[in-house]
Amino acid sequence: MKFKLINTVIAVALAIALGSCTNDNDVVNATEGSGSLKIKFDHRYGDVDFIMGAPYTTSQGETIKVDNIKYIVSNIVLIKEEGGTYVYPKSKSYFIIKEQTPSLFTIELTDVPAGNYKTVKFGIGVDQEQFNLGAAGQGDFLAQAQSEGMMWSWSAGYKFLAFEGNFTSATVTDPTLFKVHTGQTGTNYNYTEVVLDMPDKALVRPTITPQIHVMADLSKILDGATKISLSPQPNIMGGVVLASITANVSTMFSVDHVHND
Amino acid sequence: MKKYSLVVVLFWSVFTYAAEKDSLGINPYQNYFRSLEYFEECDACGCSASGGSLGFSSMLNTNFVGIRYFNQRYKSNDGLFSDSPWYEENFNTIQVWGRIPIVKKVQVSVLVPYHFHNRETVTGAQDISGLGDLTVLGMYTVYETVKDSAVFSHSVQLGAGVKAPTGKYREFSNGSVNPSFQVGTGSWDYIFAAEYVVKKGSLGLNTMGSYTVKTENEKYYRFGNQFNYSSTVFYFLNSDKYVFVPQLGVAGEVYGNNYQYKQLLRNTAGDILFGKAGIEIGRDKFSFGANVMVPINQNLTGGRVEAQYRWSVNLNYTL
Repeated sequence: MKFKLINTVIAVALAIALGSCTNDNDVVNATEGSGSLKIKFDHRYGDVDFIMGAPYTTSQGETIKVDNIKYIVSNIVLIKEEGGTYVYPKSKSYFIIKEQTPSLFTIELTDVPAGNYKTVKFGIGVDQEQFNLGAAGQGDFLAQAQSEGMMWSWSAGYKFLAFEGNFTSATVTDPTLFKVHTGQTGTNYNYTEVVLDMPDKALVRPTITPQIHVMADLSKILDGATKISLSPQPNIMGGVVLASITANVSTMFSVDHVHND
Repeated sequence: MKKYSLVVVLFWSVFTYAAEKDSLGINPYQNYFRSLEYFEECDACGCSASGGSLGFSSMLNTNFVGIRYFNQRYKSNDGLFSDSPWYEENFNTIQVWGRIPIVKKVQVSVLVPYHFHNRETVTGAQDISGLGDLTVLGMYTVYETVKDSAVFSHSVQLGAGVKAPTGKYREFSNGSVNPSFQVGTGSWDYIFAAEYVVKKGSLGLNTMGSYTVKTENEKYYRFGNQFNYSSTVFYFLNSDKYVFVPQLGVAGEVYGNNYQYKQLLRNTAGDILFGKAGIEIGRDKFSFGANVMVPINQNLTGGRVEAQYRWSVNLNYTL
């Protein structure tokens, strides 16, 4: 009687154990078709949540209050875990990211081939090849950039990143406006590329739309590899220092996590 | 696969051993005050399933049906920023529970929970409620001290059971901070439990462990396997009409990582150790119990979920 019970228990346990392991998982293995992918851009300042208008102190002892942060993200490339590369069609691959507007800080890529993506690449700004197509070659993006204030003029070109507000420092005691705009100058084009390895795989499937949560640390704009003081130059829109800003910007991004929902 | 096989082999050998021991003789030991198993059952922070580490316990009566309410408080944080806000989470469960003798040495425990949980989020308050996951657990008495005159009496029970996905698993929780804000795991889970009770006079010590193997649900989400353990000292105080059983102990839970689409989800494993205190009061066929658990040490969900406390009250009727 006892042994019978034992045998029954074991038989059930075995059946359960074996059954549990043979679960098919078609969704994971099937990499046919295509799906969508979202990239959400979130902002922090140092390690705290970035808040528009809040005071932040830079390494140069200046206190800044930001009232505008926008940038152009472009030329998105996705790299699979096994190494295949997918280049998102250039005609659809220009986006303005704006901290204040939810519809503008999450971008959605459609018709992305199913796959397990491990790396994402994108540009900050509009690449020279695209710019050289002329105003007619820009499609709807030109009008969008103009309405968001991300153009100077056609000849001067796009603002790749706009970072604006006011600041005070030991020498500048009254709140003073500052403007950091990156874009082409006479000597540098200042378009920069960012390559981010993701801590989780983005599983694009017809039934799964992954969301890549990109974190941008805005403190890096002034406090990256090069530490930049606003006091001698509240408006940074050209010159050698703009190349330093561009280099700083290229290091401010990371992928915090990926949701596969 | 190896893991499952190991568990099966382990139980096989223990049961075989048990069968041999049992053949030594019948057991005249009267059951009334034999403490019953501490079946501690809960999923991923004790949120989505039946028991919490409050345990499935009555020190007073072996076989009973009853009703229990328990409350679990957590705080959670998205972990994105050093100044991310903490949000309160409040888990409530009303549970019909019972332990019913089937044949000699074998009892079946049944838990039928109803959950009503609420929490704050960035976008406002959120609540879920509904029937939870039904658990059935069979416990088999492997060894029991047979002599009434023994100074120490021992009892060892082993059991196995299943948790059925009667509670609805909602996908919305995946992306959020505490993946256990659910009324059910959506999966068939398998439970293996062992309990040891030693008593001397009015004083006793109950030690238990259980391991829950969790499977992938229909939404391709799998909660991490879970190990629960506890050790509780209890003492019987008798008056004319009442019996009081104060209890003091520790309880712990260890969680493996959760998986989604077979991908490991970072920062979902964890562990927690509670201190706990409680009392049971029995009169005639009824008993009342109350229990409080306070964390001593914890690291849940990469530090993004923090358990604050748990408490429960129950009313049982002895069968």
